Amino acid sequence: MAFLGSFCLLFALALAAFCLLAGIAAALSKNDQLRLAECARRAGIATFVAVSGAGFALMWAALSNDFSVAYILHHSNRELPTPYKLAALWSGQEGSLLFWSWLLSCYGFVLRLRHRVDRRLVANTSTILAAIQVFFLILVSFVANPFGIASPVPADGNGLNPLLQYPEMVIHPPMLYLGYVGFSVPFAFALAALMMRYPGEKWIHITRRWTMVTWLFLTCGITLGAHWAYAVLGWGGYWGWDPVENASFFPWLTGTAFLHSVMMQEKRGMMKMWNLWLIFITFMLCILGTMLTRAGLVSSVHAFAQSSIGPWFVTFLVIVFLVCLTAFAVVLVRNPDFLASENQLQSVVSRESSFLFNNLMLLALTVAIVCGTLWPLLSEAVVHYKVAFRVPYFNKVTIPTGLFLIFLTAVGPLLAWGSTSLASIKRNFVVPTALSGLVGGALLANSMRPWMGAAHVRSWFASLQLSQFYSWMALILSTLVLATVASEFLRGGRVLREKLNTNLVSAMYHLSRRNMRRYGGYIAHIGFAVVVIGLAGLPFNREQEQEMAMGETLKIGHYSLVSQGSTQDDLPNYRSQATMLDVYKDGSFLTRLNPAVFVYKASEQPDHKVAIHHGLLEDLYVIYAGGNPERPTIKAFVNPLVSFVWLGVFILVFGTSLALVPNAVKATVPTTAVTVAAGGERGSWQPAGVRK
Amino acid sequence: MKRRVAEVFLLCCAVVLLMGADTKEARFQRLGGKIMCSCGCAEMLLQCNHVGCPNSDRMIRELHALTGTTGGVPGAGDSSKIASLKPIDDDEKVLQWFRETWGVSAVVEPATHGFELLAWIIPYAALAIGLLIVFGIILFWHLRRLPAPPPPDPHTASLRSRVRQETEL
Repeated sequence: MAFLGSFCLLFALALAAFCLLAGIAAALSKNDQLRLAECARRAGIATFVAVSGAGFALMWAALSNDFSVAYILHHSNRELPTPYKLAALWSGQEGSLLFWSWLLSCYGFVLRLRHRVDRRLVANTSTILAAIQVFFLILVSFVANPFGIASPVPADGNGLNPLLQYPEMVIHPPMLYLGYVGFSVPFAFALAALMMRYPGEKWIHITRRWTMVTWLFLTCGITLGAHWAYAVLGWGGYWGWDPVENASFFPWLTGTAFLHSVMMQEKRGMMKMWNLWLIFITFMLCILGTMLTRAGLVSSVHAFAQSSIGPWFVTFLVIVFLVCLTAFAVVLVRNPDFLASENQLQSVVSRESSFLFNNLMLLALTVAIVCGTLWPLLSEAVVHYKVAFRVPYFNKVTIPTGLFLIFLTAVGPLLAWGSTSLASIKRNFVVPTALSGLVGGALLANSMRPWMGAAHVRSWFASLQLSQFYSWMALILSTLVLATVASEFLRGGRVLREKLNTNLVSAMYHLSRRNMRRYGGYIAHIGFAVVVIGLAGLPFNREQEQEMAMGETLKIGHYSLVSQGSTQDDLPNYRSQATMLDVYKDGSFLTRLNPAVFVYKASEQPDHKVAIHHGLLEDLYVIYAGGNPERPTIKAFVNPLVSFVWLGVFILVFGTSLALVPNAVKATVPTTAVTVAAGGERGSWQPAGVRK
Repeated sequence: MKRRVAEVFLLCCAVVLLMGADTKEARFQRLGGKIMCSCGCAEMLLQCNHVGCPNSDRMIRELHALTGTTGGVPGAGDSSKIASLKPIDDDEKVLQWFRETWGVSAVVEPATHGFELLAWIIPYAALAIGLLIVFGIILFWHLRRLPAPPPPDPHTASLRSRVRQETEL
């Protein structure tokens, strides 16, 4: 299998290199080299087959316990359940780089099959993808080869890192990687469009779905990672501003900015340069994220690999940046009109300016987080010692900007393109502002007591901490977002109700089906607001730790945890020790929780299994923290509003998925009218080739 | 009306200023949130309460001594050394004391001087520069005079209104 895998990788590298060179030759040729371009396309498709062969060889080695392959020896063992054996493919550095390469070849495969959308643009895009593919195949073939041979071959492997033996870990990395790798496609389209001075915004229309699907994968990946951190790492939280968490967040932020700002280009022909650089930066941040995760440059609880591949990634990043800069400079000098804005901003109070500020806030957040994450490297280079910043720093530099971003999320959709009149602002904002003010007042009147405990709150302002003030602001602004989106649905629904002579709910459904992108986007905004409500619960988390013998009670908030003794177990893969806790809420029995500690036999590493009682308003989170088995230490947390985070992401994903669905009703415009845009398709107001 | 607005503004300012006032205990809590436990648990000092931690009890007693508050586990660390510590009024000096005693990675926030000051400046500078660029772009677009658009063709205008009606809702 190791031989087959290595052969497949080298063959794939040769094919990808041919695809790249033939693609460049076809693009540079003065005659239209269709045959050469077709050869390059087929070589690209064959690359997918060859990389799939290498992936299959590694998977087969994992499933058949072939410990002669060093990678399998280090990341699997005989007793490992089958799904985790598959997960071993991406649990180590070499395997995950092969996985990156395979996903890239998959995206390339789909792109090359759909080449009819625009043969020339797709050919150039395919060439750029081939260049990225060559880099990753060089890495897995010569620098981090997953098919290294172990000698002598031991009877059993070292096993998988216990932290990774969790169901979500089987799907979290693929989701995250689908997101990381997926941004290669819009990046390649953008660079190809720039290099060939592709007219119009068609490349943006083509890449819109690619970008949204990629962004969706990244969102799911980040959330699954956060949920894994919450359910497995046992520290009571889900986001700790860890470098690897941050690494996945960089491209998400810039990708979100791109998804918003492309609307300016599509609708108004503005921000062309900005959009190009935004997608270039997003791709480079994906590469940076992969490097941080895989090269172990910054210490992190999530970095499961340490290696010397950092310089390779840095070199690749520099090359990518120089290529982008050169292509941009050439176009700017030779053909400045290509990137010139077709419209101008008519008013500061407009949808355009809200997008500008939205992009600015997202970019400012990215800069702040990149700065804090890379600071250990920077400080080591400059002052020769590593300083790593933790949660307080990131909270301080991101929360104020984040709050302004939520405000823009509320305000932006209600502003009109072009300019918004004062009367329109009054009409659209009075009710949502009053509602959010009401919520803010109600929270003040109740001193946010549900989670603080009356004993701590004599007067709200006297005990006010900045984190709680931020939380209060976040709740008000989230209400504003929810109210503005609801008002948009209601306003449109009322108009359509009269037109279709139906009820309001049905009218709002039809409204959404007529413009899925817009109303799907609004639902995504609802999801974002719900996530923010969940985050607003963070300052009110409480924790309690206690050694508990049988019959002893731990009290936290409304809960009493009564120990019913401990139990032990011995299974082929691990030994475990658990304690049984009866949970009472306000004196009534609620449930039984069994926090445990597992010791994996292959590695003798302990792993805490957290017991969580989920509620909509708060989670009770209990850890078996160790100590004497007769009197173990139990750590309990009450985490308010955590469920809103998961619920919000679900709504966000649902809304974004809806925005991908084509509209049910198409505009019915007489064909005689379709002469406004040169090259327009018959029956369409969109430029040629654009799918509605 | 203007007077009322001014009063509200002053009230808001007072509230914001009052938010900064804190007691010794609040100062202890605040500083405890800026210091890492040096045992390697990656927790902030006041959150690291795991059983058998070799450092947090002593560090907490030192922080109590330096902030002039009372508390901590009796006997943790060298009591005579801790008793000899004098309270320090300047937060930054307290953090600096922990840096010097427990290593630079003991503090979770950048210092407000020297090279680490840059870590505070860069995010806000990026925001400020971004704001300047955005306002610059808005100003540029606002000042730029484009040729006057041709008078609207009534036929196109009616079609546009129909398309808007049919595609927006």
